[in-house]
Amino acid sequence: MPAIEVIGLRKTYRRAFRSGHEALRGVDLSVPEGSAFGLIGPNGAGKTTFIKSILGIVQPTEGTVRVLGGSPEDPRIRARIGYLPERLHLPGSWLAPVFLGTVAGLKGLKPDKAANLRLLERVGLADALGRRIGGYSKGMRQRLGLAAAMLGSPDLLILDEPTDGIDPMGRVEVRRILQEEVQRGTTLFLNSHLLAETERLCDRVAILGNGKVLREGRLEDLARSGARWVVRFAPGVDAGALGAAGFTAAGTEGQYHVEAADVAGLNAALDKARATGALLMELKRDGQDLESVLASAMGVAA
Amino acid sequence: MNGVLGIAGYVLREAASRKFILAFLLGVTGVLVTLSLSLKIEVVDGALAASRLFGEVMDINIRAVDVALKPVFMAAAGIVFYGGILFGIVSCSDFATSLLSPGRIEHLLALPLRRWHILAGTFLGVMSLALLGSLYGSVGLVLIFGVKTGYWTMGPVISAMLACVSFAAVYSVMLTTATIIRSAALCAALGGITLVAGIIAGFRTKIAPFIEEGVSRELFKGVTLVLPRLSSLAKAGMDLAASTPLGVQSLTMLLAGVFVFGLGVLALGFWWFEGRDY
Amino acid sequence: MRQRRRGLWLVFAVVLFGLAAWLMLSGQGEEEAPPPPKVAFPNRMRPAERERMEKRRTYVAPVVDAGTVAQQQPIRPSDPILAALPRGKGKTAVVIEANAIRHSPIGEMLLECLMNREGAELERFKKETGVDPFQDLDRMVLTDDGVILSGNFGDDRLKNLLTSRGSTNYDYGDSARLFEPPVPQQRPDGSTRRGGPQVGLWNNQMLVFGRSADGVKEVIDRVEGRGPDEPPVISESSTYGEMYGVLSSEQLKKLFPKEQQELAARLAEVAENVELHVDASSDFAMTAQVKGPDAAKVTDLGKSLGGALSLARMQAQAEGKTEMAQLLDFAKVRPDGDEFKLELAVPLEVIKQQLAFCREQQSAQNEKPQEASPTP
Repeated sequence: MPAIEVIGLRKTYRRAFRSGHEALRGVDLSVPEGSAFGLIGPNGAGKTTFIKSILGIVQPTEGTVRVLGGSPEDPRIRARIGYLPERLHLPGSWLAPVFLGTVAGLKGLKPDKAANLRLLERVGLADALGRRIGGYSKGMRQRLGLAAAMLGSPDLLILDEPTDGIDPMGRVEVRRILQEEVQRGTTLFLNSHLLAETERLCDRVAILGNGKVLREGRLEDLARSGARWVVRFAPGVDAGALGAAGFTAAGTEGQYHVEAADVAGLNAALDKARATGALLMELKRDGQDLESVLASAMGVAA
Repeated sequence: MNGVLGIAGYVLREAASRKFILAFLLGVTGVLVTLSLSLKIEVVDGALAASRLFGEVMDINIRAVDVALKPVFMAAAGIVFYGGILFGIVSCSDFATSLLSPGRIEHLLALPLRRWHILAGTFLGVMSLALLGSLYGSVGLVLIFGVKTGYWTMGPVISAMLACVSFAAVYSVMLTTATIIRSAALCAALGGITLVAGIIAGFRTKIAPFIEEGVSRELFKGVTLVLPRLSSLAKAGMDLAASTPLGVQSLTMLLAGVFVFGLGVLALGFWWFEGRDY
Repeated sequence: MRQRRRGLWLVFAVVLFGLAAWLMLSGQGEEEAPPPPKVAFPNRMRPAERERMEKRRTYVAPVVDAGTVAQQQPIRPSDPILAALPRGKGKTAVVIEANAIRHSPIGEMLLECLMNREGAELERFKKETGVDPFQDLDRMVLTDDGVILSGNFGDDRLKNLLTSRGSTNYDYGDSARLFEPPVPQQRPDGSTRRGGPQVGLWNNQMLVFGRSADGVKEVIDRVEGRGPDEPPVISESSTYGEMYGVLSSEQLKKLFPKEQQELAARLAEVAENVELHVDASSDFAMTAQVKGPDAAKVTDLGKSLGGALSLARMQAQAEGKTEMAQLLDFAKVRPDGDEFKLELAVPLEVIKQQLAFCREQQSAQNEKPQEASPTP
């Protein structure tokens, strides 16, 4: 059973005296249970609307949304979800344990001060328990928001820009916590503009653009750009002969690209190169990073 | 229901951390303490023989304490009623808008709460605040005059409760306004308009003859029929505080009517809030 | 599901508004509540009373000594009744504006009651004396020495009646005639047959009843300007209300019930006299001004009186005497240096309730003959 299943989701924001704005134009998406799923896309792609739709904060104009096997409008379903909004507004005059206790109460959890303190410790706020939230840095607020989202060990964590404002060391810390959660079996749904963050944390990614899912799948599948390989030969190769064998210069001296549909094809091409006297030094698959994948996806969409 | 209580607690905690609410409590305490220290009352066999505030003779008449204190309690009830509602309008105008602010409302809506829980909880929280504040002031007043004169009456306390019910009607309008347009200023303005409309509605039978007979008068009567009769409740509160006979036919029904009006506006707010995207 | 729930809220709101409107309409009522009772206490002369006072001023010729004409002060017209009042401290005089009371709501009620009960007697009195107490009587003054009546007493039947008592009568002063009753006679059983009061009739507009002929003569002398130089106990400026006057402390003491004798003694000790004013034009409102030489004692007495009134009110409340408590709601003492003013009131509604028995009796009497009459 998928943790999130969205079929034909459309959302049009209607405005008085103005034409409506179509934020989502038929989104189909399935997030497997236990996965770490990343949602990426440019600004205005509809990512936040999508997240709000799967939490019942925004009502879809069309389509169905099922989360953890039920409707997000069902409070029992939402009780199993931990959510960190993009710009979480926290009560500045409160103390972190009080805030956490209040959220726990609203989640219907039994009061457990010790567990709350452990959670605050886990997100790295142990030293700031006596300080008012108003005095927290942006990163500390994000950590507190994360702790609030993790209250009650939810089955699904929906995090909108969780590492926004957190320093590099803190990001490593947050990433570690989230990885622990995923290992525990929690489904992670992450929306982050930091692609490296998504790349490091998520095993599946969906690219949203213009209110539609442009690409979706396992990260390595998306990153793989077909049958292109990078080959480096020892200096003194015959460039012309290599070109005739199907190798194209990559710019750096001795580095070439070669297309091969399979392993046999690759070895045949390498045999041809070696026959010209070229000596193989290094061989690797020519993969794309997430940035390139997003850029190419947006290029396709355009 | 736990959700409603939870949100009410959230609002109360938020209020407790606000400086002006503390300032209000300190202010009320200050007035009560000043009154208790500066007011000298001489009572002879249950008659108020002399009263001095800051050393100045206040009322030269010697008469039964409860009769002498009637105008005092009436004035106090009037001040508590209208002053309390006005203070409530100003001080509570941003509770709902703050709760509905971006970054907070999404978080609340994602929690396992029904949407109406959030509004009902806010309403309950603010009303608890109003109730506590008015109880504090009125009981303090009763205590001061009770200790000083030996005359004990629940009138001012009941009057303060009436003010709370009236504020419930006003605040329900403010809360519903907040769900439509998230503006504290607009909420306060609508609260003020409701107060004025409620005062007019209380005098509807007196005002109606001054309006041209026909459609205008019927329209006035029709509109004011639904509006809460706040001035009638204020008058009843003053009468109760002074232990004088009530001018209304049935205070219970009037009170219930004003409260039900508040619930009606609140239900309208629930209807709107249920359909809103945040 | 959510839309359905949403729709329910709207329906719920409409129902609640309807219910609220009904509740508020029923609770407040369409009719305006009557204003709370207010009692106007007689504290100063009102325009109508000033007009009444000015109309009553009559030129009275003073006794003129031929040699002192030049030293005479300009003669001011004076009200004969005021002129007739006793002079000096420690005297009592209470003026009842019979005519005004009769035309007040309370007076009308009393009159109705009186006519129902004593109608026949009154008719007989009217026939015998030619004096209709409801038409001819203007004022009645009660003093330590007797009673003075002002009005229209010109009917011969009255003079005949006074003469027929077997008394001697003679003219006195400028316009007065005195009727002296016969000397008291010893009856066979040992008791004394009293001859009745000394009566003086001045100018057919004033009847003076006194204990002694000298007392009556003194009154006539005062009216005709032969009295002492001291001003009367009630000044012209104090003639407001339907009843007003000055009570000596001794007289006041007698008015107090036995259980209040301690307070009465204190009052007699502290107060020189008490000035009374009663307003019966709508409600029955009374002010009593107590004056004394010692301001501190007067203030203390005021406090004690206020306390007594308050205690009485509490007692009435405790005993469930709501009417009495309501009366005492208006009671207050207003101290002002060497004097204080006591205000007491009886709202008209309470008097109506008190006189209700009179109407009930009358209606019962009216019904009886009807019941007794045989039906055809």
